[in-house]
Amino acid sequence: MVELIKVSKRYPPDVTALSSVSLSVDRGEMFFIIGRSGAGKTTILKLISSMEPPTSGLVEISGQTIHRLKGGKLAKLRQKIGVAYQDFKLLTDRTAAENIAISMEVSYKKPQIIRNRVRSLLEQLDLADKHDTITGELSRGEQQRVTLARAVANSPTMVLVDEPTGNLDADTTERVVKLLQNSHKSGATVIIATHDESIYRNTSCRIMELRQGAIHSIVRGDQA
Amino acid sequence: MSFWFTVLRQVGRNLRQTWMSQIMTLLTVSLSVLIFSLFYLIYTNMLTVGDQLGDDLRLIVYLEEQPVPEMQEQLRRKITAFDDVEEIKFISPEEAYEKFANQLGNDRDVLEDMPRDFLPPSIEVTPLKTLRSLNQIKLFSDYLAKLPGTLKVQYGQDWMERFFNFTRLLSIVVLLSGSLLILTTVFMVAYTIRLTIFGRHDELELLKLVGATNAYIRTPFLLEGLFQGLLGSMFGLAMLYMLFRWITERFAGPGFLSMIQFTFFPPVTIATIIVISVLLCTVGSHTSMQKYIKV
Repeated sequence: MVELIKVSKRYPPDVTALSSVSLSVDRGEMFFIIGRSGAGKTTILKLISSMEPPTSGLVEISGQTIHRLKGGKLAKLRQKIGVAYQDFKLLTDRTAAENIAISMEVSYKKPQIIRNRVRSLLEQLDLADKHDTITGELSRGEQQRVTLARAVANSPTMVLVDEPTGNLDADTTERVVKLLQNSHKSGATVIIATHDESIYRNTSCRIMELRQGAIHSIVRGDQA
Repeated sequence: MSFWFTVLRQVGRNLRQTWMSQIMTLLTVSLSVLIFSLFYLIYTNMLTVGDQLGDDLRLIVYLEEQPVPEMQEQLRRKITAFDDVEEIKFISPEEAYEKFANQLGNDRDVLEDMPRDFLPPSIEVTPLKTLRSLNQIKLFSDYLAKLPGTLKVQYGQDWMERFFNFTRLLSIVVLLSGSLLILTTVFMVAYTIRLTIFGRHDELELLKLVGATNAYIRTPFLLEGLFQGLLGSMFGLAMLYMLFRWITERFAGPGFLSMIQFTFFPPVTIATIIVISVLLCTVGSHTSMQKYIKV
């Protein structure tokens, strides 16, 4: 599903975010990327979601080199990837429901389907009462959940999540993890970048640790 | 959800969010169309007046003496040697006297003491309708002046020169105002779309990331430009029509203006102005998109 082959990423003037990383994530796998701040977790997600091109190396999704895709093909691929960004990227003058609906609108889903899906996701994330609230008025934790709901709304084949529980309490963290697990169970490849040990501690999923832009280890959760 | 439904919803949202600048652009487009169309309407009406004057155009060649029939034939041949003409009419001093007396109407008694042959004989030449430009008429007049026995040639040259110069000046004004207003319109629409793009930068960025296609992002902006052109030109033309109606009604009745038959644009011209405005505004919108939306 996802292949990174000797991928490096440098930012000007001379900051190396990733250095010769090779990685393979299978279709339908739940995969964790851990590491300290600045280790390169977010950079990997940005490369996979084609927000940024690699400085060298190849990033392939389903056999396609994504930074070479353009126009309609790139748009189609992005519709299949749901991303929950660390900086949320919410439209703060729109309601929670409108923000979640965006990812479905671009693939021309029927309004009724969009409405139902939005309500269902808001209920799952304990945000049913925030349906018509402007996201700029929500707390950080609520905004984070709206971001996550938008990422999974279009039933993507791959979900990329950056620090999904950073601003959440234990109860809400559990809800978020459950939502991601549901997405995984329905067949999506889920890649989660986190340093919250509680969400990967008891899993059997693979966990990759990054240190200073390089892979330090890849182990199964139950073997760690 | 269909593509067009989504796109129209986006357009509605844009218009709601940037209604102030949209109205300003709409007014600019309307005023541009109004100013250009006003000059163009005056110009086309002046051309019509020119045509009407051309229909009545006669060159009067005053002769030293009444030509005999052989001489008349010779003059006729010489005149048609320059160009075909609509009509050549020889007027004797007596006929000229009668005509003048008729023109005087009730004051014809002032001619009582005058001999009936005090006016010179003349030839009334009606040129072909194709002879329209001032230069052609001048050349023809100069040619007629050189005919044997000619005293002078008259066709109201001073008035006609002034009229043709005015029409020429008006055509320059129409061209200049047209060019300037085209630039203004394109610039204003491009500027408004640019403001909208900047105002919605975060949204456009997000749309790209969630997989919106080029068409999904760009079509609403193109439609905005199209609506600006369509509504702006229709509004401008409507204002011009009201102005036209007001002027024709206000100045109806006896007077100089009543001699001229003012007409509004025919439907083809109206449609052309609207189509050109729509095209210009869409081009303005497209220019901004190409420059500021990199998908």
